[in-house]
Amino acid sequence: MSGIFEYNGGSIVGMKGKNCIAMACDRRFGQQMSTITTNYQKVFKIQDNILLALSGLNTDIHTFYALMEKEINLYNLKENRKMKPTTFANLVASALYERRFGPFFVTPIVAGLENGKPILATYDSIGCKSDLDDFQVGGTGGNYIYGACEAFFKPDMSPEELEEVIGQSLVSGCDRDALSGWGGVVYVLTEQKLTVKILKTKQT
Amino acid sequence: MIDFDPSTFGLAHTYQKEDKDEINTLKMPSAPQVIYRTLNGPTQTNGGNKLNNFKHGTTTLGFVFKEGILLAVDSRASMGSFLSSEQVRKVIEINEYLLGTMAGGAADCQYWLAYLANHCRTYELKNGSKLSVAAASKFLQGILIGYKNSGLSMGCMIAGSDLSGQHLYYIDNDGMRLKGDIFSVGSGSTYAYGVLDNHYRYEMSLNEAVELGIRAIYHATHRDTASGGVVRVYHIHQNGWTKVHDGIDVVDLHYQFAQQKGLVGDGDEAKQRLF
Repeated sequence: MSGIFEYNGGSIVGMKGKNCIAMACDRRFGQQMSTITTNYQKVFKIQDNILLALSGLNTDIHTFYALMEKEINLYNLKENRKMKPTTFANLVASALYERRFGPFFVTPIVAGLENGKPILATYDSIGCKSDLDDFQVGGTGGNYIYGACEAFFKPDMSPEELEEVIGQSLVSGCDRDALSGWGGVVYVLTEQKLTVKILKTKQT
Repeated sequence: MIDFDPSTFGLAHTYQKEDKDEINTLKMPSAPQVIYRTLNGPTQTNGGNKLNNFKHGTTTLGFVFKEGILLAVDSRASMGSFLSSEQVRKVIEINEYLLGTMAGGAADCQYWLAYLANHCRTYELKNGSKLSVAAASKFLQGILIGYKNSGLSMGCMIAGSDLSGQHLYYIDNDGMRLKGDIFSVGSGSTYAYGVLDNHYRYEMSLNEAVELGIRAIYHATHRDTASGGVVRVYHIHQNGWTKVHDGIDVVDLHYQFAQQKGLVGDGDEAKQRLF
């Protein structure tokens, strides 16, 4: 518990489905062993078809999100069009590498739908992009969520199934991590809509 | 028969003097020997990082009131930030009239409280009367002083009933022994004290006391990451102890208390910016 990535705690997970993507995060904001609030936002809507989830040091979550908001707003104004999810995924990698020698202590996951095709990308804190997997995790409870994901995941799930599976994986993973939990939020993005559901989890 | 030579009492480097002619049927495993003693202070067991000291990652509490003593504990065990168990038993039943709570090293607490149980029984057989709570706690203190600075980690409460009433003692690995009316031990103790100190009254009924103990443990489990699982409650009275609750899930308690406050989860969530 002594690392900078473990100071605030928190877990995120992203999954691909059939023409849909899902993201889930816990809601805890803590300082080492003490919990401060249980309603901290860790998944952000960058654009109608792009979601950005961040885990790590909470101050950097907030700052990095603000930086990405600025980038996409300027892009919209300059180019007068929406940004493609694959372009945004690249932008995140560059923005992280810009701070190579004084990095943001975050591990982002980007999820989006490009012409109906799901895109999921994850990064380390200095911008190494990995976009070939069907599900990705981040945060202090990440490894525990991996186990649950491997057990429950199957390719090409419908939005309803995906919501169920990702919610279950997040909750099972957070139950084994002391620094994550205190509520969960699941976001499912399809071509038509974004649904947000709050999970009833352990509050301990 | 285990026989104590008073001149070696409490010293870690000598344990038993065996009579060669007797068959030793009540032999306890040998207590560990301390190989060296530092003159400079406590053994460094946590990399010197006091803020992250997980040694006492738990919440236990006990208080004396008019109907006896109430003990309430959580049930979580964590190794760093990994939760190894949510079902640990942190109240150790020493005998029918003495209970000990566990905080700090589980192995240390289990072993030395079992050792204390053995000593209590031996005393009872030799002397025809039960060992008092004061004497039992003092015996344990003596052992822990002998192992001072060697790295034992114990923050336990000894609570029991004897001829002079019900008594509560706090014993820790530094050799501290305190008699008191209200104690809470562990990383979640600060949160538990807040609730306990606010509503404690000596004249409480048993039901009120149980309610208070449960509430205090719940609040600690909510805020402290190293506490959680279930609440176990014990009551000590003049006839010994009773297990009041074997395990109430703190998750259920959370939603129960939220319901009582009218927080059913629709107002706050709707106002939050979620995306």
